[in-house]
Amino acid sequence: MFRYLMLAGLALFLPGLCALGYSLYEGPSAWMLDSRTFWGTPISLFVFWVGLAHAGTLLSAVFLALDIKLDRRTALIAELSTLASLVFAGIFPLMHLGYLQNFYMVAPFLDARGNFANVSSPLVWDFCCIAVYAILSLLFFVMHLKARVNPALDKYRKPMAWLLFPLVLWVHTVVSLDFATTFVPEWRGAFFPVYFIAGAIFSGIALVNLLLCTEGYRVRLLERLQLICSWILCAIWFWDFLLKGTFFASAFIFAGVLPQLRLVSVFRENRWGRAALSVSVLFGLFLERFYLVSPEYGTSSSFGWIDLGLVAFSVGGFMLLFFGVRRLLNRYAENAGAYFGEVDGSDMAKVEEAEDAERVAASGLGVEKSKKGFYIQPWSSEEYRILRFPLLVGIAVALIFVVWAWGQLPFVNVELSLANVLPLVYPVMALATVMTLLARIYFVEKSFVLHRREKILGVAILILAGACAGTFFAGGASETSGASVDVAAFGENTNVDLAQSALVWNARCATCHGRDGKFNEKFVREYYPVPPKLDLPRLDSLGTDSLVKVVLNGRVNMSAYANRLTPAEAYGLVNYMRSLAARDSGEGAR
Amino acid sequence: MIPLVNALACLIALGCASFLWKKGSSPYRNGAMLVGALLLFCVFTYFGGEMFDARLVDPTLEHYPFRMMALCLCLSTTSLTLYRRRYLVLAQALWFWVELFGGIALFYRGFDIAWMRILAILGMTFCSTFLSRISKEMEFCLMVFWIAVWVFF
Amino acid sequence: MGMDRREFIKSCSLVAVMGLLYGCRKLPLDEVARLGDGPTLKQFEDEVKLAVSQAKKQLDLVKVSRPGPLSIPGASPLNRFGMAIDLDLCDGCGECILACNKENNVPLVPEDDAARGRFMHWVDMRSGAPFMCAHCGKAPCERVCPTGAANHTPDGLSAMVYKRCAGSRFCGANCPVQARKFNFNDAQKLGLARKFNKEVPLRDKGVMEKCSLCLHRLQNDRLKFKTQLSVAVAAAGNVSVKNAAENATEWRGRGVTTACSDACKRRAIIFGNWLDEKSPLVQLTKDRVLYAPREIADLDPSVVFMRGRR
Repeated sequence: MFRYLMLAGLALFLPGLCALGYSLYEGPSAWMLDSRTFWGTPISLFVFWVGLAHAGTLLSAVFLALDIKLDRRTALIAELSTLASLVFAGIFPLMHLGYLQNFYMVAPFLDARGNFANVSSPLVWDFCCIAVYAILSLLFFVMHLKARVNPALDKYRKPMAWLLFPLVLWVHTVVSLDFATTFVPEWRGAFFPVYFIAGAIFSGIALVNLLLCTEGYRVRLLERLQLICSWILCAIWFWDFLLKGTFFASAFIFAGVLPQLRLVSVFRENRWGRAALSVSVLFGLFLERFYLVSPEYGTSSSFGWIDLGLVAFSVGGFMLLFFGVRRLLNRYAENAGAYFGEVDGSDMAKVEEAEDAERVAASGLGVEKSKKGFYIQPWSSEEYRILRFPLLVGIAVALIFVVWAWGQLPFVNVELSLANVLPLVYPVMALATVMTLLARIYFVEKSFVLHRREKILGVAILILAGACAGTFFAGGASETSGASVDVAAFGENTNVDLAQSALVWNARCATCHGRDGKFNEKFVREYYPVPPKLDLPRLDSLGTDSLVKVVLNGRVNMSAYANRLTPAEAYGLVNYMRSLAARDSGEGAR
Repeated sequence: MIPLVNALACLIALGCASFLWKKGSSPYRNGAMLVGALLLFCVFTYFGGEMFDARLVDPTLEHYPFRMMALCLCLSTTSLTLYRRRYLVLAQALWFWVELFGGIALFYRGFDIAWMRILAILGMTFCSTFLSRISKEMEFCLMVFWIAVWVFF
Repeated sequence: MGMDRREFIKSCSLVAVMGLLYGCRKLPLDEVARLGDGPTLKQFEDEVKLAVSQAKKQLDLVKVSRPGPLSIPGASPLNRFGMAIDLDLCDGCGECILACNKENNVPLVPEDDAARGRFMHWVDMRSGAPFMCAHCGKAPCERVCPTGAANHTPDGLSAMVYKRCAGSRFCGANCPVQARKFNFNDAQKLGLARKFNKEVPLRDKGVMEKCSLCLHRLQNDRLKFKTQLSVAVAAAGNVSVKNAAENATEWRGRGVTTACSDACKRRAIIFGNWLDEKSPLVQLTKDRVLYAPREIADLDPSVVFMRGRR
């Protein structure tokens, strides 16, 4: 079964990959773009896949946090689908960029030149939230797998679930703010956070139901939730219609009307019928995102082959990835099937037992109930160690980050208020909290041992992350524009005297290098790394010719002045620079 | 929206809250009740906020039905029997959520954020995590507090 | 942490490969593909005519008050550059568009883009009048730019740092009047760009651009002013000359014009400094009624329209 689904995924994925390659080569003109908003298919697909990526965390974390029983197999499938969807949710915003090489500038990361992303942009929030969400979902999934082998880790799942619960909502809220904060008339709506989250939960549940159909069993709770979600979404669409008069008829039919067929037992009791209902929901919600992102669709733009290819890429890629990992887990994991539990629900009882045991072991928030009557010192209680202390660390880190980001303005002219930075708070907090938790697991839990292969993987990831951070920190070197000028032809016949050079220096060079040649630190620190001091030994070691070349052709952060200065003027400047340095060293000697 | 209609909205939310989470009701009934309440809030906002008149459209009403929904959920938690504190906190967090992110969306279009309201809800959410037993008096106090936040901030 | 030499070398080589890949981003082939002179002037003229004939977008104008000093932090209290377009004088000839294209090296677009009305022109024709970025004081595009490529200069220009642009097009989505243009094509490779003016760089594929209010002219004038000022100070060598030239110690951008304003035969486009009483902009708009497009009227635009006398 999984093999055929994988192959079907591959059949969709390969042509899709061609479409992706072509659109990366051709840039944004390759796919359907809205003529008014410049956004198109990749953004619709991004919103769609991010929505689907909520299924896992929602079902697993929220149900765990709220004590709603869900068997381990369903929870694991949901978590795996989250990870697979997130891969595609990550690809689409990147390919949407017109200038892909600059993507790292979106991260709120200070580079060597003191450049900083504009944290008031919802895209920056997006970037942070999704990155943090991806890391935490991966850790949650891995911990779930590990906890199967090492029960000591089970008590850490609940604190993580409580952290992921708001995070999953936060991520989609921020995605909705991409739209709600703009001036596009069709996107106005302060209710978009609720609207998007409702849509995301709906599509996520539909996806899990669809995947459960392939597994050959069903969870009635999720099917009921799917139906109820369709009602809620219809109510929100009604408000959207009242507010703006927009109504997506086809989305309404597929995601609002057809799911009601679950009330007919013929559809409900048939595996294909259930699959069809879920597919209809997913299709309807894709249409909805598509119409929403492209308000001008149909008037000046149309859906083409490349767009179909991109859809095929994501759908096929998801199937390939999900069922591939699913097969892998089935085949190679020790006592196959144990990871994914039994179909008949006997596994359910075990989970309940485990959770009871968990409560007795005083984990997470259950602590007060089980230890009622005993006085526990607040600083030494288990709950404090595994939840409150990491949370406090997280809050502290988030506060420090916000204060730091507030100070790091790329330019003084950007107005920043609390509302601009607030959406970054929770992701940073969650990340710091989970890192503290992990550190605790690593150092405190005696039973937790990493295999050699896992250690190597960890080190490799650390080195890779360090390399990426270093590259981003260095930033791109400024390239000289235009062909470089060869100075050898001019010789040293300077006809520009020092007085005139002084004027040119004051006008052109003094902003960075300072009137006295000692460079203007206040200005320079804000924009570039400080240029080297131009003292006499350094000037001598460089030589006049190469200095003139640097002035004309530029070097690293020094701009090229070939278009703005004549070579003679450049010679004059170098001479003047030398005279400044000589004066400086003379003063220094005295 | 005039203050009187705003206060009326509060009463409607209170009325709807009493129909939610009846003991032993099926998830379908609960879901239908929620959706029905939401539809009612939408229609109420549309007519109460005079949104049919294009000249008077007030963007701050965009998330009004959802704020009503959140208030309604908050009020309805007082009638729960199990896990009352947990759902109380969650419902208030939802209200906080709707207010905060709705406010941020509007802030980008040039409206001020109602910080007082948001802080009041946040403070109450935080404080109510410390409630151990919720007595009848405490229930009443909570409801009065929410209604006061709704009407005055 | 146990890590033997083999692993260490392995990870080191991994990093080295990464570095190499990063270094090879710029292909040497790019240089070869660059073409010579580019298209002829005639092609640019034809494209402007096509754009003028296709212009359909309407303008919904509302009255606005005179732009005052900017409230953003770091804004200069002396300069706020802007323009006023006299709708009573303008006959919609489109000369300004051509002049702007030549001044700012705006590239041509391929035919299918032109058929869709997707031109790169920084100046559009709307309702028979030139229309460009209004350099709003509360610019929504700058607020959503993730990298800070779109930013505000202290002199009131909404500027673009092309090298910092990641091409997310968020600014374009958030511009209520669609004044921003996106480089869908690599105009240099396709031979559609021509460098008329060496002071303005050609833009890469995938970055946003828009009217810069001829920023390079302002910058040149500022540099010239500073140089002359230092000449004057150097010549006298003491403070008394500073007093003599006191009204010229601060740069106000006097005498600078934009290319569109130069090209307008009927003098319908007036460029100047809203905060300088001596600027032609202030003097000529004194007794006029100012208008701005309804969508951006609340955003404090610097480029406005005027019609009728008060």
